[in-house]
Amino acid sequence: MKVIDIKNLTKIYNESEVKVKAVDNVSLSFEEGEFAAIVGPSGSGKTTLLNMIGGLDNATEGEIIVNGTNMGTLKSSELIDFRLRNIGFVFQSYNLIPVLTAKENVEFIMDLQGRDKIERDNRAIELLKAVGLGERVNARPAKLSGGQQQRVAVARALASKPKFVLADEPTANLDSKSTETLLDIMEELNKKEKITFIFSTHDQRVVNKAHRVITVEDGHVKSDERRN
Amino acid sequence: MIWNISWKNVWRNRSRSLVVIIAITLGTISGIFVAGLMKGWVDQRTHAAIHTEVSHIKIQNPQYLNNEELKHTVPDYAEIAEFLNQSDEVKAWTKHTKIVAMASTSRGNTALTLKGINPDEEKTVSDLYTYIVKDGGNYFESGFKNPIVISEKTADQLRLINYIISQELLDSLKTLGAKEQLLNNLEPLKDQRFITEKKFKAKLESILKPGQIKEFGADIMKLAKNYKLRSKIVFTFSGMNGEMSYQSFRVCGIFKTANTMFDQMNAFVKEESIADVAGFQANDYHEVNIILDDSDEQVNAFRDKLKSKFPDASVMTWKEIAPDAGMMADFMSMYYYMIMGVIFFALAFGIINTMLMAVLERIKELGMLMAVGMNKKRVFSMIMLETIFLTLVGSMAGMIIGGALIGIFGQVGLNFASVQEGFEAFGWSAMVYPNIDISFFFGVTAMVIVIAILSSIIPARKALKLNPVEAIRTE
Repeated sequence: MKVIDIKNLTKIYNESEVKVKAVDNVSLSFEEGEFAAIVGPSGSGKTTLLNMIGGLDNATEGEIIVNGTNMGTLKSSELIDFRLRNIGFVFQSYNLIPVLTAKENVEFIMDLQGRDKIERDNRAIELLKAVGLGERVNARPAKLSGGQQQRVAVARALASKPKFVLADEPTANLDSKSTETLLDIMEELNKKEKITFIFSTHDQRVVNKAHRVITVEDGHVKSDERRN
Repeated sequence: MIWNISWKNVWRNRSRSLVVIIAITLGTISGIFVAGLMKGWVDQRTHAAIHTEVSHIKIQNPQYLNNEELKHTVPDYAEIAEFLNQSDEVKAWTKHTKIVAMASTSRGNTALTLKGINPDEEKTVSDLYTYIVKDGGNYFESGFKNPIVISEKTADQLRLINYIISQELLDSLKTLGAKEQLLNNLEPLKDQRFITEKKFKAKLESILKPGQIKEFGADIMKLAKNYKLRSKIVFTFSGMNGEMSYQSFRVCGIFKTANTMFDQMNAFVKEESIADVAGFQANDYHEVNIILDDSDEQVNAFRDKLKSKFPDASVMTWKEIAPDAGMMADFMSMYYYMIMGVIFFALAFGIINTMLMAVLERIKELGMLMAVGMNKKRVFSMIMLETIFLTLVGSMAGMIIGGALIGIFGQVGLNFASVQEGFEAFGWSAMVYPNIDISFFFGVTAMVIVIAILSSIIPARKALKLNPVEAIRTE
């Protein structure tokens, strides 16, 4: 089943008089349960592509259809709600709320969705256990290592039961051991919960783990390799 | 959960939040205390205006207001008296005869209004009997003929106060902590009598050092006062028939209220002691004073009732007779809120600054929140709640401390002795007992919330303008 369908997507930045084509006529689609990496050198347009898929940036041309909804037709407020209900985000620098515990950080997204307290509690604990932090539910981010914080961020991204998770350079700040643990956890969740993961990365360890590798260069898709 | 995050965010930068909270606390304490002080003054002034000077409603002859001739007595007095006796609203009432007279003693004279009263009845309407000064006699309890109660101010004008350094005074000074040297300096003056305050003061200044006068001068003046009770005062006035009449009285009591003007204008005698000499007939009275419940609605309604029933009489409420006190009572609550408003307006700049800093240092986090699906309404609510919590913590602490201070000083009082004369010239007591209505705290809380909401607009707008993609990348 197709989760994301990207058709002729183009993004042009107008910086002063010079027009920069960050993404140039890209067409791609992602099926449910994919574990894909978008790779490419800095400035290749992979983050711009990821931002547009996540509804954080508008396309200049083309369309992105997520589960049958054309994101370009949504108003700003509808887009925020759409992101809340359909997309999970994992950021390079974790971006947890420092005043909340690990459990509260995970719970918070569900609170925004209007879920009740019991459901929030149960799912937050279940997800933290799934990322190997069942013992640290009440720890604040400052008391967790970088790898542990990113695992909380993964649990948070999954808390809203999204259609897919976008992870922008999730391993950039992690050491090898933490990276390996994090990727194993994400792969496990991908298999178990059939959630689509799309990474933007130039970390070879992520590329090695990905089931599909899309290489972007100068805004174009240079290759799209699927692995078994 | 937004409430939880907002509350925790307040304490994220503890020292910065505490600076603002302390500023708000101090501002609230000052505002509450000043409001309590002003309310204390106004309440005392209002109480004095009603229960010492004027009463709730006064009935007079309308012509007496323009021309204080004795013949202008209250019209239809008998009917009025009967009506008042039958009215349930009336808690107490009394009547006075009034004569503008010249009072003379062997050493001085002054003009004042002599009020003929029934002392027992008067006590139910006026609390003047509680203002008899220490060693100043009593309120018509002396058995002698024609007693009069005058004010300390009048006694001074009629030279009925002497100043004596007695052994008792020296002993009292000793207990107040006076040093031996001061007592030795005063010793030569012992048992000497000074007939005026001016002479006594001059003598003290010649024998005492400025430091000693500064420290104990007021105490010595107070303790040395010796009222010449039973002294004779002769009053000269024009009677009902227009002929000059005379009557003498003996001082039985000396009072002092916080209103110098009232004190120097009034003296009180038993009504029967001037009735015959002035030529008053039965039911000849110049004013009827009525006490009701302390409710403006009831006072105004009863005034209107009296006016319609007795159209020939002048019926006035205390607010019409003492408009200064009336205006203060009516508008003071507005002033309290104005004081608080000015304080919070100034504090709002500090609050805005703190919240702006809080937003600017959390750009990345706010970007993340907006990216994952926190809508603008929720972002605004979060920052607004944070501002409300920050402001409420400070103002609650301020209200508790301010309320406690008012509670303490409301019991022990605050004495503005150094400006006593000036205050009392306007009828304001120098000893003030601050108090505050509990409703004021609710009003202040509402005000704080409004100020917090307004203060949160600029920081919240700053947050709402953020682009999530750029904000997340901020280092």
